[in-house]
Amino acid sequence: MATDPVVLSLKQSLPCRDSQIDQLYNLLPGKDDISIPSVYICGAASTGKSAVVTSMLHKLEIKHAIVNLVECYTSKILFENILNKFSDHTFDPTNPLPYAKCDNLMDFISHLKGINGLDKSVLVLDKAEELRHMDANLLPAFLRITELTNLNITVILISDIVFEKYYNKSTDVEPLKVYFPQYNKDELLEILTLDFDYVKSEAAIDFDVDFYKNYLSLFLSVFYRACRDLCELRYMSRVNFTKYLQPVVQKQCSVSDSMVLWRNIAPVLKNSLEVLYLRVDVTSDQMNNAAHSLELPYYAKYLLVAAYLASYNSTKDDKKIFVRNTGKKSKSVREIKAKSKVSEQLNTQLGPKPFTFDRLLAIFYAILEEKVGFNNNLLVQVSSLVELRLLVLSTVGDGTSLDGQKYKCNVSFDFIHSTAKTIGFNIKKYLSDFRHL
Amino acid sequence: MENNFNHIIKHLKQNILKNRTCYGYEKEEQQIYDLLERTLDCGESNSALLIGPRRCGKTLVNNNNSNLVISLVNKVLEQLQLKDNFQTDCILVKLNGLIHTDDRLALKSTTSQMQLDNVVDGKVFGTFAENLAFLLECLRTGDKCKSKSVIFILEAFDLFCSHHNQTLLYNLFDVSQSAQAPICILGITCRLDVIELLEKRVKSRFSHRQIFLLPHDSQTSKSDALEDVLRKIEDYLRVPEGSVKLKTNDTLTKQWNKSLTNLLKDKKFKNVIQRLIDIDNSESMLKDFLVKVIFQLNGENLTVDIFQKQLNMLEEDDMIKVLQDLTVLELCLIISMKHHIEIYDNNPMNFEMIYNRFIKFANANAGVQNFQRAVILKAFEHIQGLELISMLSNTTSKVQKEYQFFKLLVTPRQILEAVKKSSGLPTEVTQWAHSSLT
Repeated sequence: MATDPVVLSLKQSLPCRDSQIDQLYNLLPGKDDISIPSVYICGAASTGKSAVVTSMLHKLEIKHAIVNLVECYTSKILFENILNKFSDHTFDPTNPLPYAKCDNLMDFISHLKGINGLDKSVLVLDKAEELRHMDANLLPAFLRITELTNLNITVILISDIVFEKYYNKSTDVEPLKVYFPQYNKDELLEILTLDFDYVKSEAAIDFDVDFYKNYLSLFLSVFYRACRDLCELRYMSRVNFTKYLQPVVQKQCSVSDSMVLWRNIAPVLKNSLEVLYLRVDVTSDQMNNAAHSLELPYYAKYLLVAAYLASYNSTKDDKKIFVRNTGKKSKSVREIKAKSKVSEQLNTQLGPKPFTFDRLLAIFYAILEEKVGFNNNLLVQVSSLVELRLLVLSTVGDGTSLDGQKYKCNVSFDFIHSTAKTIGFNIKKYLSDFRHL
Repeated sequence: MENNFNHIIKHLKQNILKNRTCYGYEKEEQQIYDLLERTLDCGESNSALLIGPRRCGKTLVNNNNSNLVISLVNKVLEQLQLKDNFQTDCILVKLNGLIHTDDRLALKSTTSQMQLDNVVDGKVFGTFAENLAFLLECLRTGDKCKSKSVIFILEAFDLFCSHHNQTLLYNLFDVSQSAQAPICILGITCRLDVIELLEKRVKSRFSHRQIFLLPHDSQTSKSDALEDVLRKIEDYLRVPEGSVKLKTNDTLTKQWNKSLTNLLKDKKFKNVIQRLIDIDNSESMLKDFLVKVIFQLNGENLTVDIFQKQLNMLEEDDMIKVLQDLTVLELCLIISMKHHIEIYDNNPMNFEMIYNRFIKFANANAGVQNFQRAVILKAFEHIQGLELISMLSNTTSKVQKEYQFFKLLVTPRQILEAVKKSSGLPTEVTQWAHSSLT
C-alpha cells in the first residue's frame, strides 16, 4: 500500500511529513468506495496542513472543493462557493452568476444532490475554526454530511486549534483526527535548505550548499527560540542572506571566512529579530520611536503628560506628589518599603484609570513651571488629543462639553517617557509606582 | 496477497462504518410500529417522542445504496412499507432540525414531500400563516376515513423547539389533537428534557407519549460488560469464510479470523479493552476506536500493540501537543502565566504583568535569550490566537491591549507535562516551570 507512486512523490515534495501523508492517504476515499464522514486536521500555522491535503487530492485525482472559511463571512457565500467548485462552474465575465442561488442548508443539500459525480468526493474547509462563529447548524451538519445528503462525501476540516474548542451542545460527531506537529530545528533546517536554488539564482556570487547550510544554522540559532513558523523564517532568512553575503560581494572577505561573516551578521540578525512578523525594512525609519515622529505642540505635550499622571496615579496620592511644601519631612526607607506594593498591583501594570477634566487641568498647572492663561487654545488641544486617540473617553457622554466626561490616557510608558524627555520633564519622579525607587 | 488483504479491510470498514443496527430494543420497536400502523390503518392521529442517547441508532438514514444500514426507525418503516396500503394510504414527511432551521423552510420541504408543489405553485401567499393554513386545509379535506394519513418524522426535535413561537409544532400537534386529517408525529431527539422546551400551549397538545431507548445492560457486572464488548468486537471484525462476495481466498480469511480469535483470548488485549470501557462504554465510542484501528492497518494482522497504540492516542491530550509546538519564548510566557495564577489564586492577568515576570526571569538567567517587547507581544498574541488564553471582556476599543485581562485556559499540570515532554528546552526554563523562585 505504501508503495503507491503518488505517496512517494508527495513525500519527496513535502519533506518531514511522512507519517501525516500516510495517515491521510489511508483516510481518503481513493482506494475503495468506503469513505469516512469527517476528518479533522489540526496543527500550528505553516506546518503543511493545506499543502499536504491540496497536493494529495490533486495527485490522487479525487474530485474536491477547497474553501477557505475566512473568505466566507456568511453561510450564503460558503454554500455558493462550495457548489461552484463542486460543479466546476465557470463564471460568465459579463454576467457573473453563481451555479445556484443558495441561502440556507436545505437548498444547499438539494443542490448538492443535483450535481453529478459527487460520490467519493472530498470537501475541504480551511480555517474551520470560523465555523463556530457562523450559524449553529453548520458545524454539526458538515460533520454528518454523508448522513444528510446521502452522498459519499468526506469533509476535511483544517484548523490551528484543538477540536475540544468546538464542543457545544450539538456537536455529537467526533471526526477522525490527524495532528500535524510543528517542525523541529533539524527539520526546519532541512526544509529551508530547499530554498538553495532560489537563493543561488538571486545571489551575485557563487557558493555551495554547505555554505548556505552554515548560514541557516547560524540564522536558526538566533531565531528558533522566538519563531518556529516556517513561512516567517523563510522570509527572514532570505532577507538576511543578502546582508550576510555583502562582505563577500564587496570583496572584503572570502566565502570561507566564516568568523568575519558571523561578526558582520550577528547584529543584523539581532535587529531583524525585533521586527519579526512585522515585515518592515530594518533600515528604514519606520521603526523609530513613534513619540519622535509625532509632533505635538508644547502645551499639548504637557497636557498629555498630565493625563498620563492622572491615569496612573491614584487621586489620594495627588497631594503628596504635586504640592511642593506639605510641611512633612520625607519618609524613612522603612516606611517606603512598607508602602511599596507587589509588582502586579502597580498602577503601571493594571492599566489606565479614568480621570475627570478638572483633575487633568489641576495636574497640568501643577507640573507646568510658567503661568499660562486658561483659554480656548488650551481646550482645543485637549480635544485634538482625544481626536488623535492619545486620550480616550471612558464614559459615553453627549460629547458636547469637555468637562463632565471622564478620560483615560491611551499611550504606553515608553511613549510618554520619550515625550516627557523632549520637554525636559522627569516623569518617573511624579509616578507613585516609581517614587520610592 | 496484498490485494486480498485490501478486500478484507474493505469489508471490515463497510461492516463498521455502515452498520447501524440497533440491538435489543424490540419492545420499543413494536411500540412505534403499532403506533404508525394505527395511523395508517385506522386513521388515528398520534404523537410520540423517541428519546435515546446520541448515535445509538435511532436516526433515520436514507438507505438506498446499502442494505446494511438499519436503524430503529428505518426498521419500523421498512416493515410498514411491506404493507399493501402503505403506498396508497400514507405520505411520509421527513424533517430534520439541522436542515430545516425555521418554519418557512420546514413548510416548503413539507409541501414538496407531500407532492403539493403544483397545488401551491399557482397560489400567491401573502404571509407565512396563510401558506400554513392552506397546507393544513389540504390535510383537512375529507373526513377521518377518506383522507390520506401523513407520518411526520422530525429529527433533531429539540431544534424545532427553538423556532419562532413554535408555530410548526403547535400546528402539527393541534391537527393531531383535533379530528382532522390523520397524522402521526414522531419526534426523535437525544435530549431528555425536551418536553420542558415546549411552550405551554404546545405541550398541552402533545400526547406525552415518550419512548426511551435506555442502555439496557446497566445492571450487568463489570466482567459481563467486558464479555459483551469482546463479543461485539468479534462481531465487527470477523470476516465470513467462504463468501463469494468478498473475493478473498480462504487461507487469508482463516488466518485473519485465527489471529482475531487469539487476540480475543489475550489477557493484555482484555486489559486494553477494559481500560477503553472504563473511559466510555458506548457503542459509538467502540466503533470509532475500531475504525481507527482498521485505518492504521498496513497489510498486517491484528496485534495487541496496534490496539495499545490507539488507546494511548485516545488518552493523549491534544492540548499538550499544542503546548509542545510552541516556541521557547511562548512556552516561557505560558509558564509565567502559570506562576501568576498560582500566586494570585486564579486572578486574571494582563500582558504587562506577564511581561514583567518574564523579563525578571530572563534577566536573572544569562542562559535565557532576551527579546524585545514587540516580539514578546507578538508571541503573546500568538498564544491568544491558539486560544490558550481568553479575554475576559470584549470591550477591546477602550483599553490598550497590554492591559486587557485574560484568563489561562490550560491547567498547570498540562503545562508541566508539556515542559517534560518537549526536548531542547534550556534547563533554566525547565527548572523555572517547576518553581517560581528564580
